Amino acid sequence: MAPRLVLRRRTFLAGVLAFGLDFARAETRRFRIALANLDETPGVTLEGLGFSGAELRHSFELAARTLPIDMVYFDNAGDPARAVTNAEAAIAARVDLLIEYNADGDANAEIAHRLAAAGIPALALVDPLPGAPLYGPDNLAAGRIAGRALGAFARDTWSDEGVLGVLIGDLADPGPVVSDRIQGINEGVRESLPTLKLASLDTGGQSVRADALLTKFLQTQRDQRLLIATLDDLAAVYAKNAVEMNRRQSDCIIVSQGLDRNIHGGASEKKEINPNNRASVVLGSVAYYMDRYGYDVLPLVLRLLAGETLPPRTVTQHILVTAANVFREYPPFDMN
Amino acid sequence: MRIAGLAAFMGMSILSLLAPSAPASAQADCKTVVAPSPFGPDDQTGATNRVTPAVTKAAAAEIQTGVVTPMANNLVDGVPLFGTRFSKTILSSFAVVPGAEYGKNKLSYMEDTYLSQSHVGTHIDGMGQIGIQDCYYNQTPMGKYVTQNYLKRLGIENIKTFATRGVIIDAVKVFQAAGKLKPNAACKNPCLDAGTVITEADLQAGLKMYNVTLREADAVFINTGWGDLFQQFPAQNATYNGGEPGISKSAAMWLASQKVVAVGTDTWAVEVIPGEDTTEAFPVHKILLTDNGIHIIENVRTDLISAAAASSNRATFFLSMTVPKAVGLTGTFVNIEAIQ
Repeated sequence: MAPRLVLRRRTFLAGVLAFGLDFARAETRRFRIALANLDETPGVTLEGLGFSGAELRHSFELAARTLPIDMVYFDNAGDPARAVTNAEAAIAARVDLLIEYNADGDANAEIAHRLAAAGIPALALVDPLPGAPLYGPDNLAAGRIAGRALGAFARDTWSDEGVLGVLIGDLADPGPVVSDRIQGINEGVRESLPTLKLASLDTGGQSVRADALLTKFLQTQRDQRLLIATLDDLAAVYAKNAVEMNRRQSDCIIVSQGLDRNIHGGASEKKEINPNNRASVVLGSVAYYMDRYGYDVLPLVLRLLAGETLPPRTVTQHILVTAANVFREYPPFDMN
Repeated sequence: MRIAGLAAFMGMSILSLLAPSAPASAQADCKTVVAPSPFGPDDQTGATNRVTPAVTKAAAAEIQTGVVTPMANNLVDGVPLFGTRFSKTILSSFAVVPGAEYGKNKLSYMEDTYLSQSHVGTHIDGMGQIGIQDCYYNQTPMGKYVTQNYLKRLGIENIKTFATRGVIIDAVKVFQAAGKLKPNAACKNPCLDAGTVITEADLQAGLKMYNVTLREADAVFINTGWGDLFQQFPAQNATYNGGEPGISKSAAMWLASQKVVAVGTDTWAVEVIPGEDTTEAFPVHKILLTDNGIHIIENVRTDLISAAAASSNRATFFLSMTVPKAVGLTGTFVNIEAIQ
């Protein structure tokens, strides 16, 4: 038994040593990571929310500063063919890993095929890439958070009165992402108000229309308490304007999706969700943190490169951000 | 309503902006939140306790040529100010109207009224500026000591002297030498870009360039080049205010371990903005001021002393900076000179 024990000890020590050397090597090694971003075209926003491609990319620039990572950036510009070309460029540049953010399934299948042939691992952002772990939002969960917040508000504030739900957003052809959010809102709000009726106001993708649409709707619902769920923050801002212009602040409440810069602000910005604006009809917005993806994704990348098997899907931890916690989630750090 | 909201907002200081949203009556156990002062449980002074007569005498040896290099920016309308801070003066003239002069020698005089926040221009942050919840330097439960007009503890009147050795670290040269300078296009002269993290290794490399070893009670200044934008005011105020290069948390802890008395830069917050972890608010301020009693000096003019160091190959100097005995203030604008 004794020799076997020694062998085991030796094996253990050798393992520790090897691990230590690997660890030391990993400590000093820098990785070249490519991000092929969905679309950085100015004015284009991501996933039906208010975040831009530039914001998403900037989060990787910031997160990479203190990691052993050198980033290489590509802009897929919303073009599947370009996404494939960019993947080829990343392969030619011999990157250690490609983070692919591309919505086209066929192109992603081709990209996955080419990466596999080149022996380059990948991590998919938001949209699946065959064989790659995925990071992205949990749209259903985010919707539920908003729905629950609206339901809880009605239960706590208007417990003895009838309420009506209103959904505002790009509803005509919502696609799976927005459909999940809508389903989540429905499920969440019905936890408190199982018989709630939900009206829909379709902005057709132009959030500014939320103002006129809601104004007309409010005029048909003069004695009704309204729980308003907006599918993006800009729509929430315009919906809020309609509520105020129609002097319906006392019987309307809005919860939104996204928490982008349209609705929260810095130290000096007068924005809707703000500690000094706690009486706003905009109760809050569900945070998607797309401007912080880099901080979530790059540690996953390092784990993947260290040989760890990641879960097939990792999701953003969404929370409801209100005036009470907005500065904790987004500390105002700029002077402007 | 919007105007009223803005007006109310303008009245807020950075302290209230950064305050957590806990009820005002909440009292944290400051002994669990903030480290005790190395200078005793009653200390309100902070790191200038380290400036002993021996330190000042040794620093005086830095004066070799008598050349004085300015290290403060002019405080004038249009310079970048944090958030909604303001700085205005009102000039009052007395006895200048013919016939109103004083005496047969016809004396007249003028005076100024400052309508200014104290953390403007080249300025020092005092021990009363930054806390975690309501816990400030030396585990002080600041809620007990706040009045409408001033602090009853940790005011800048408790600062001793800054008659010590100053050290300039030229981070621009460090990054140039390492081939990692990523400038900002708005800078007319080489500068580190906003968000550039200056590590303790960078600081050590900067010290090594001039064969300087930090001593206890040194005041450390770092040239990032970002001050170039300050000097272009008001044209580049938005860029200057939008972020900055600066030291990392670990660099701040390393400086604290060197027992310095102050850390100053040509930026508005000394620390890297956006921070390493964007969910944290001004962590370097907490490390230096709240935990270690080390003053922060912001918007310092570091380009001239950096140039002087480059030409003389000497990065140390006698620091000339005094702080008014303004009772209960959290900071003040200062003038700084490097004497070599």
